[in-house]
Amino acid sequence: MLGKLIKHEWKKVSKAGCLMLVFVVIVTFFGWLAFQSPLWRGLAEDNYYAGINPWDIMSFLTLFLYVLMLTGITYGIVIYTGVHFYKTMYTDEGYLTHTLPVGKHQLLISKILVSGIWVMLVILAVMTSVILLILSFVGTILPEGYTLGWFLGRLFQELGIAIRNFRIDYNINLMRYLLALLFSVLIGPFVSVTTIFGAISIGQLFTKFRVLMAIVSYIGIMICNMLINSAVRSIVMAAHMNELLFDARGFDRYLNSTIDSGTIIGIVTAALLYLVSWLVISRKLNME
Amino acid sequence: MNQLIEIAGLTKAYDSKHIAVNNITLSLPRGKIIGLLGPNGSGKTTLIKMMNGLLTPTHGNIRINGQFVGADTKAHVAYLPDRTYLSGGQKISRVLDFFCDFYLDFQRDKAMAMLQSLNIDPDMKLKALSKGTREKVQLILVMSRDADLYVLDEPIAGVDPAARDYILRTIINNYNPGSTILLSTHLIGDIESVLDEVIFMRYGHLVLYTSVDNIREQHGKSVDAYFREVFAC
Repeated sequence: MLGKLIKHEWKKVSKAGCLMLVFVVIVTFFGWLAFQSPLWRGLAEDNYYAGINPWDIMSFLTLFLYVLMLTGITYGIVIYTGVHFYKTMYTDEGYLTHTLPVGKHQLLISKILVSGIWVMLVILAVMTSVILLILSFVGTILPEGYTLGWFLGRLFQELGIAIRNFRIDYNINLMRYLLALLFSVLIGPFVSVTTIFGAISIGQLFTKFRVLMAIVSYIGIMICNMLINSAVRSIVMAAHMNELLFDARGFDRYLNSTIDSGTIIGIVTAALLYLVSWLVISRKLNME
Repeated sequence: MNQLIEIAGLTKAYDSKHIAVNNITLSLPRGKIIGLLGPNGSGKTTLIKMMNGLLTPTHGNIRINGQFVGADTKAHVAYLPDRTYLSGGQKISRVLDFFCDFYLDFQRDKAMAMLQSLNIDPDMKLKALSKGTREKVQLILVMSRDADLYVLDEPIAGVDPAARDYILRTIINNYNPGSTILLSTHLIGDIESVLDEVIFMRYGHLVLYTSVDNIREQHGKSVDAYFREVFAC
């Protein structure tokens, strides 16, 4: 049944998800267009004081909108998955969802899996868009005779050297940071949606103002999360104080510890909230 | 074991003052059409929701086919709620696919035949249909299942007399005779002729559970007339 739940959930969420991906493509195109203004081309020729024309103003405005739109899309998909979860679980549509002959874990897993994948896809699309825009900018300002291929070759070469030098000179492993970033991109979406779904489920424990209480619960969870994170960071900082003052590796250790603890706290919070959602739909369900 | 539904000490209290269902104990047999009757706020819908796992009882339990309400019982219960639970953006054909995937007892051919008899195009989106047609589609979905128990919450409320006839005809012609239909309504006169047994509820309490024949023989009245007498204001 889990496969069937995932299939139908995917069909339902993919409409909005695809729409957001198309939106990212459109926004990226306009971002690229913004870098085609004479101002940016002038940067490569050292004549950017030649005066700003309406094209340049449009270019700035477009880039500003680009940032706004991408931020909106990133938050938009997360909010959409939350609204979709609420609608299919706790409104009239929930009457069908909760009378399906499926287990509660299967129900939750299918929703978390599909929503998490779509959030991840949109985040990856947004990251790709930013990389493409940076490359488009670099392509615009590169002096004649230099290609993007040359630039990328040099970039990766320099990155390789930096990683090697940091390891040799300071015993700092930069690859670990890249892996942590990759891990957060892969796990973060699932943690986010599980947390939101948990907050929505907590809202159902109230007899009135359930949506409002879900929002309040989410804010409360986020504040608790931040407080715990800050407390852990303070403890880690105190533990590494000597190293932080006198050794570059101390900062590395401190940073790694805070990244690790933040990830662990996020995962533990999501696991607890998964449990809350499961308890609400299996023991405390009260469809209005 | 001829009892399909066994309800033991069932209570649903929202708070100390508002008790929607109060300590009901009841056993319902297989192969009967049972009317769940009572005035507004008597606890009919609350009882039905608990049978379908949409509400958690405060006390007591319900067993269907000997099993507590859960994924296993839901595979054998066809439930028609008093509201539209289908998303408007979907095509009817996609909803049929959905029911085929999840309910092993769903008969797609039967559903298609019923849709055809009403000239409803399966490729239409639900939001393009009128409220009445959407309700009929929902009824078709429920009655296309070969379930052990059909739970129909106010299926004829708020529809015109012609639609009412269609709905009752659909229910009678399509249910599995070995199964039980539990049907809640206020409109007793319209359904009285098809009922085998009735349950009267008031203020969350079970007032009466008896056969229709018994009411007629013992009280010399129709169920509708007897209901009016029992629940007279």
